[in-house]
Amino acid sequence: MSTSRQYELVYLTPPDTSEDALGELHKQVQAVVDRFSGSIDRTENWGRRKLAYEINHQREATYVLEVINGPGAMTAELDRRLRVLDTVIRHMIVRVDEDLASAERAKTRRKEDMAKRRTRRGLPPEPTESELHRRREESDDFDGMGDGPYRGGGGDR
Amino acid sequence: MSDFDGGRGRSGGKDRDKEMGEKGGRRTFFRRRRVCKFCVEKIDYISYKDVKVLAPFIPERGKIQPRRISGVCATHQRALQNAIKRARQIALVPYTTD
Repeated sequence: MSTSRQYELVYLTPPDTSEDALGELHKQVQAVVDRFSGSIDRTENWGRRKLAYEINHQREATYVLEVINGPGAMTAELDRRLRVLDTVIRHMIVRVDEDLASAERAKTRRKEDMAKRRTRRGLPPEPTESELHRRREESDDFDGMGDGPYRGGGGDR
Repeated sequence: MSDFDGGRGRSGGKDRDKEMGEKGGRRTFFRRRRVCKFCVEKIDYISYKDVKVLAPFIPERGKIQPRRISGVCATHQRALQNAIKRARQIALVPYTTD
């Protein structure tokens, strides 16, 4: 079985597209996804938005986002289908699982590193609220101190 | 005698003052430290969907702001660049403006 990946599909339809037509479009996407035994995680309708530039002499469009799990061949098929449809004026499929996973990894690593550093210094792994407050004040002091000795020394002589 | 000494002392002091003044002058040239916005705010994933995040890095002309100006680190500039290019494809962000 081919591996399942996560993709984000965004498609734009003309602003005068009816709810029914949007539902129909969603059904078509669902059909393709089902055929490749994928699944749709969630669907977001962003509604009408202004376009940054004109597409087919339209200044506005309805945006729909679908988060899809499925194999790579599915995206090729979706791409082909969406390109033919008149109701879709623009679409984009982006693979997101790798980026999201690496972001998650970076987050956990940062947290672990901080916890390790702190336990080594004999502190609780999470910084307390008062500590955060003190740190902010200290950094302010440090900025002030940077100029202080210089100016003070010059003035005394 | 004592006057003489005092005079020398003062002149020495003046010299040092001047030196200090110069150093102080150089210090006032202190450029604001450029820090990567994404590192500071600990943003790991720059999404093409958030126009609000991308907008500050797209000047009027619609070009992607170079990192020598914005101060974004290399890693995040790369991610930002991808995000902006994706956002352009779906017309969230302009390619150019005239």
